[in-house]
Amino acid sequence: MPETAAINAVMRTLADPTRRAVFERIVGSEEITVAELTRGSGVTQGAISQHLKSLKQAGLVAERPAGRNVFYRAEPNGLAPLVDWMSLYGVFWRERFIRLRTLLKEIDP
Amino acid sequence: MNDTALKPQTQDIVVDQVLPHTPATIWKTLTTSELMGRWLMVPTGFEPVKGKQFTFQTTPAGAWDGVIHLQVLDVAPNERLVYSWKGGHETNADYGSRLDTVVTWTLTPVAGGTRLRLVHSGFVIRRNDAAFQKMSEGWKHVVQHIDTLSGELH
Repeated sequence: MPETAAINAVMRTLADPTRRAVFERIVGSEEITVAELTRGSGVTQGAISQHLKSLKQAGLVAERPAGRNVFYRAEPNGLAPLVDWMSLYGVFWRERFIRLRTLLKEIDP
Repeated sequence: MNDTALKPQTQDIVVDQVLPHTPATIWKTLTTSELMGRWLMVPTGFEPVKGKQFTFQTTPAGAWDGVIHLQVLDVAPNERLVYSWKGGHETNADYGSRLDTVVTWTLTPVAGGTRLRLVHSGFVIRRNDAAFQKMSEGWKHVVQHIDTLSGELH
Protein backbone atom coordinates (compact mmCIF):
# COMPACT_ATOMS: atom_id res chain seq x y z
CA MET A 1 0.00 0.00 0.00
CA PRO A 2 2.15 2.91 -1.18
CA GLU A 3 -0.22 5.59 0.16
CA THR A 4 0.00 4.22 3.68
CA ALA A 5 3.78 4.02 3.37
CA ALA A 6 3.88 7.70 2.41
CA ILE A 7 1.74 8.72 5.40
CA ASN A 8 3.86 6.61 7.76
CA ALA A 9 7.06 8.15 6.40
CA VAL A 10 5.79 11.69 6.90
CA MET A 11 4.50 11.01 10.41
CA ARG A 12 7.57 9.09 11.57
CA THR A 13 9.82 11.83 10.25
CA LEU A 14 7.91 14.62 11.95
CA ALA A 15 7.36 12.73 15.20
CA ASP A 16 10.89 13.74 16.31
CA PRO A 17 10.63 17.18 17.98
CA THR A 18 14.08 18.37 16.85
CA ARG A 19 13.47 17.32 13.28
CA ARG A 20 10.07 18.94 13.40
CA ALA A 21 11.66 22.18 14.58
CA VAL A 22 14.09 22.00 11.64
CA PHE A 23 11.18 21.44 9.25
CA GLU A 24 9.23 24.36 10.72
CA ARG A 25 12.22 26.66 10.20
CA ILE A 26 12.52 25.51 6.59
CA VAL A 27 8.79 26.07 6.02
CA GLY A 28 9.15 29.51 7.60
CA SER A 29 11.94 30.60 5.27
CA GLU A 30 12.07 30.66 1.52
CA GLU A 31 15.44 28.89 1.36
CA ILE A 32 17.93 28.13 4.09
CA THR A 33 21.39 26.58 4.44
CA VAL A 34 22.63 23.98 6.93
CA ALA A 35 24.79 26.63 8.60
CA GLU A 36 21.81 28.93 9.08
CA LEU A 37 19.70 26.05 10.41
CA THR A 38 22.45 25.08 12.85
CA ARG A 39 22.81 28.59 14.25
CA GLY A 40 20.83 28.85 17.46
CA SER A 41 19.45 25.32 17.16
CA GLY A 42 21.44 23.92 20.07
CA VAL A 43 22.55 20.88 18.04
CA THR A 44 25.56 20.21 15.83
CA GLN A 45 25.69 20.76 12.09
CA GLY A 46 26.13 16.99 11.69
CA ALA A 47 22.86 16.37 13.54
CA ILE A 48 21.07 18.96 11.39
CA SER A 49 22.43 17.25 8.27
CA GLN A 50 21.04 13.91 9.47
CA HIS A 51 17.62 15.47 10.05
CA LEU A 52 17.73 17.06 6.59
CA LYS A 53 18.50 13.66 5.11
CA SER A 54 15.42 12.15 6.79
CA LEU A 55 13.25 15.09 5.71
CA LYS A 56 14.46 14.70 2.14
CA GLN A 57 13.75 10.94 2.18
CA ALA A 58 10.20 11.58 3.39
CA GLY A 59 9.72 14.02 0.51
CA LEU A 60 9.25 16.99 2.83
CA VAL A 61 12.29 18.99 1.80
CA ALA A 62 14.04 19.71 -1.49
CA GLU A 63 17.60 20.93 -1.97
CA ARG A 64 19.29 23.25 -4.43
CA PRO A 65 23.09 23.16 -4.58
CA ALA A 66 24.65 26.53 -5.46
CA GLY A 67 28.45 26.67 -5.45
CA ARG A 68 29.69 25.63 -2.02
CA ASN A 69 26.27 26.02 -0.45
CA VAL A 70 23.19 23.85 -0.48
CA PHE A 71 19.88 25.61 -0.03
CA TYR A 72 16.94 23.77 1.47
CA ARG A 73 13.29 24.58 0.96
CA ALA A 74 9.96 22.92 1.84
CA GLU A 75 8.61 20.58 -0.81
CA PRO A 76 5.13 22.00 -1.61
CA ASN A 77 3.51 18.57 -1.93
CA GLY A 78 5.39 17.02 0.96
CA LEU A 79 2.49 17.03 3.37
CA ALA A 80 -0.04 15.96 0.75
CA PRO A 81 -0.28 12.34 2.02
CA LEU A 82 -1.07 13.66 5.48
CA VAL A 83 -3.57 16.23 4.25
CA ASP A 84 -5.24 13.50 2.19
CA TRP A 85 -5.37 11.21 5.22
CA MET A 86 -6.97 13.91 7.35
CA SER A 87 -9.29 15.35 4.74
CA LEU A 88 -13.03 14.92 4.98
CA TYR A 89 -13.24 12.35 2.19
CA GLY A 90 -10.04 10.61 3.23
CA VAL A 91 -11.63 9.91 6.60
CA PHE A 92 -15.00 9.17 4.99
CA TRP A 93 -13.68 6.48 2.66
CA ARG A 94 -11.50 4.77 5.25
CA GLU A 95 -14.50 4.54 7.53
CA ARG A 96 -16.63 3.14 4.68
CA PHE A 97 -14.00 0.47 3.98
CA ILE A 98 -14.32 -0.69 7.60
CA ARG A 99 -18.10 -0.93 7.17
CA LEU A 100 -17.66 -2.77 3.88
CA ARG A 101 -15.39 -5.34 5.54
CA THR A 102 -18.02 -5.93 8.24
CA LEU A 103 -20.79 -6.34 5.66
CA LEU A 104 -18.71 -8.76 3.57
CA LYS A 105 -18.03 -10.86 6.66
CA GLU A 106 -21.79 -11.06 7.22
CA ILE A 107 -22.80 -12.02 3.70
CA ASP A 108 -19.75 -14.16 2.90
CA PRO A 109 -18.42 -15.64 6.16
CA MET B 1 3.86 33.96 -11.15
CA ASN B 2 3.19 31.65 -14.08
CA ASP B 3 0.31 29.67 -15.52
CA THR B 4 0.92 26.60 -13.42
CA ALA B 5 0.72 28.72 -10.28
CA LEU B 6 -2.72 30.01 -11.25
CA LYS B 7 -4.17 26.81 -12.66
CA PRO B 8 -6.24 24.85 -10.16
CA GLN B 9 -4.48 21.65 -9.15
CA THR B 10 -6.43 18.57 -8.29
CA GLN B 11 -5.73 15.93 -5.73
CA ASP B 12 -6.88 12.33 -5.43
CA ILE B 13 -7.87 10.27 -2.44
CA VAL B 14 -6.77 6.66 -2.69
CA VAL B 15 -7.73 3.73 -0.50
CA ASP B 16 -6.29 0.40 -1.54
CA GLN B 17 -6.96 -2.76 0.46
CA VAL B 18 -6.99 -6.52 0.03
CA LEU B 19 -10.28 -8.06 1.15
CA PRO B 20 -10.65 -11.83 1.77
CA HIS B 21 -13.55 -12.25 -0.69
CA THR B 22 -13.96 -12.94 -4.41
CA PRO B 23 -14.32 -10.06 -6.89
CA ALA B 24 -17.88 -11.25 -7.61
CA THR B 25 -18.91 -10.94 -3.95
CA ILE B 26 -17.34 -7.50 -3.59
CA TRP B 27 -18.90 -6.43 -6.89
CA LYS B 28 -22.34 -7.20 -5.40
CA THR B 29 -21.70 -4.85 -2.47
CA LEU B 30 -20.64 -2.10 -4.89
CA THR B 31 -23.55 -2.48 -7.30
CA THR B 32 -26.64 -3.65 -5.37
CA SER B 33 -28.69 -0.76 -3.97
CA GLU B 34 -29.70 -2.67 -0.85
CA LEU B 35 -26.10 -3.68 -0.06
CA MET B 36 -24.71 -0.22 -0.95
CA GLY B 37 -27.12 1.21 1.60
CA ARG B 38 -25.64 -1.02 4.29
CA TRP B 39 -22.04 0.24 4.04
CA LEU B 40 -21.90 3.34 1.83
CA MET B 41 -25.13 5.32 1.57
CA VAL B 42 -28.64 4.48 0.37
CA PRO B 43 -28.70 5.29 -3.35
CA THR B 44 -31.79 6.55 -5.16
CA GLY B 45 -32.13 5.37 -8.75
CA PHE B 46 -28.90 3.39 -8.93
CA GLU B 47 -28.35 0.67 -11.52
CA PRO B 48 -24.94 -0.59 -12.67
CA VAL B 49 -25.61 0.65 -16.19
CA LYS B 50 -23.46 3.16 -18.06
CA GLY B 51 -25.15 6.57 -18.21
CA LYS B 52 -27.49 5.85 -15.27
CA GLN B 53 -27.98 8.82 -12.93
CA PHE B 54 -28.56 8.44 -9.21
CA THR B 55 -28.30 10.38 -5.94
CA PHE B 56 -27.19 10.10 -2.33
CA GLN B 57 -28.88 12.22 0.32
CA THR B 58 -26.43 13.57 2.87
CA THR B 59 -26.56 16.30 5.50
CA PRO B 60 -27.38 19.72 3.97
CA ALA B 61 -24.96 22.60 4.52
CA GLY B 62 -25.77 26.26 3.88
CA ALA B 63 -27.03 26.76 0.35
CA TRP B 64 -26.51 23.07 -0.48
CA ASP B 65 -29.42 20.65 -0.07
CA GLY B 66 -27.05 17.80 0.75
CA VAL B 67 -27.81 15.85 -2.43
CA ILE B 68 -24.89 14.24 -4.19
CA HIS B 69 -25.55 13.77 -7.91
CA LEU B 70 -23.88 10.79 -9.51
CA GLN B 71 -23.74 9.22 -12.94
CA VAL B 72 -22.34 5.85 -13.91
CA LEU B 73 -19.50 6.47 -16.36
CA ASP B 74 -18.13 2.98 -16.82
CA VAL B 75 -19.07 -0.58 -15.83
CA ALA B 76 -16.93 -3.69 -16.30
CA PRO B 77 -18.55 -6.40 -14.12
CA ASN B 78 -16.29 -7.69 -11.33
CA GLU B 79 -13.47 -5.40 -12.52
CA ARG B 80 -14.25 -1.72 -12.66
CA LEU B 81 -16.98 0.74 -11.73
CA VAL B 82 -16.70 4.47 -12.34
CA TYR B 83 -19.15 7.21 -11.40
CA SER B 84 -19.08 10.98 -11.25
CA TRP B 85 -19.73 12.50 -7.83
CA LYS B 86 -20.99 16.09 -7.78
CA GLY B 87 -22.48 18.25 -5.08
CA GLY B 88 -21.92 21.07 -2.67
CA HIS B 89 -22.11 24.81 -3.18
CA GLU B 90 -19.63 27.58 -3.97
CA THR B 91 -20.55 29.45 -0.79
CA ASN B 92 -19.47 26.60 1.48
CA ALA B 93 -15.96 25.99 2.71
CA ASP B 94 -14.83 22.56 3.95
CA TYR B 95 -17.94 20.40 4.37
CA GLY B 96 -20.46 21.08 1.60
CA SER B 97 -18.01 22.93 -0.64
CA ARG B 98 -18.37 22.59 -4.41
CA LEU B 99 -17.37 19.13 -5.64
CA ASP B 100 -16.96 17.92 -9.20
CA THR B 101 -15.21 14.62 -8.74
CA VAL B 102 -14.98 11.06 -10.05
CA VAL B 103 -14.97 7.81 -8.09
CA THR B 104 -13.24 4.79 -9.62
CA TRP B 105 -13.44 1.30 -8.11
CA THR B 106 -10.99 -1.31 -9.38
CA LEU B 107 -11.12 -4.98 -8.39
CA THR B 108 -8.12 -7.24 -8.98
CA PRO B 109 -8.00 -10.90 -7.93
CA VAL B 110 -4.98 -11.60 -5.69
CA ALA B 111 -3.89 -14.53 -3.54
CA GLY B 112 -6.38 -14.80 -0.67
CA GLY B 113 -8.94 -12.42 -2.06
CA THR B 114 -9.35 -9.23 -4.01
CA ARG B 115 -7.45 -5.99 -4.12
CA LEU B 116 -10.08 -3.26 -3.96
CA ARG B 117 -8.80 0.15 -4.97
CA LEU B 118 -10.79 3.33 -4.62
CA VAL B 119 -9.62 6.50 -6.33
CA HIS B 120 -11.71 9.59 -5.63
CA SER B 121 -10.24 12.18 -7.95
CA GLY B 122 -10.70 15.83 -8.81
CA PHE B 123 -10.46 17.62 -5.47
CA VAL B 124 -9.40 21.14 -6.40
CA ILE B 125 -6.61 22.83 -4.54
CA ARG B 126 -6.63 26.52 -5.32
CA ARG B 127 -3.15 27.69 -6.09
CA ASN B 128 -2.69 31.42 -5.83
CA ASP B 129 -0.41 33.47 -3.64
CA ALA B 130 -2.95 33.90 -0.85
CA ALA B 131 -3.72 30.20 -0.83
CA PHE B 132 -0.05 29.36 -0.71
CA GLN B 133 0.38 31.70 2.24
CA LYS B 134 -2.53 30.10 3.99
CA MET B 135 -1.14 26.68 3.26
CA SER B 136 2.19 27.48 4.88
CA GLU B 137 0.30 28.58 7.98
CA GLY B 138 -1.77 25.43 7.70
CA TRP B 139 1.41 23.41 7.56
CA LYS B 140 2.59 24.78 10.87
CA HIS B 141 -0.79 23.98 12.35
CA VAL B 142 -0.65 20.46 10.96
CA VAL B 143 2.87 19.95 12.20
CA GLN B 144 1.83 20.88 15.73
CA HIS B 145 -0.62 18.01 15.67
CA ILE B 146 1.85 15.40 14.48
CA ASP B 147 2.60 14.18 18.00
CA THR B 148 -1.03 13.24 18.55
CA LEU B 149 -1.37 11.74 15.11
CA SER B 150 1.78 9.71 15.26
CA GLY B 151 0.45 8.11 18.43
CA GLU B 152 -1.92 6.21 16.16
CA LEU B 153 0.99 4.60 14.29
CA HIS B 154 2.05 1.19 15.44
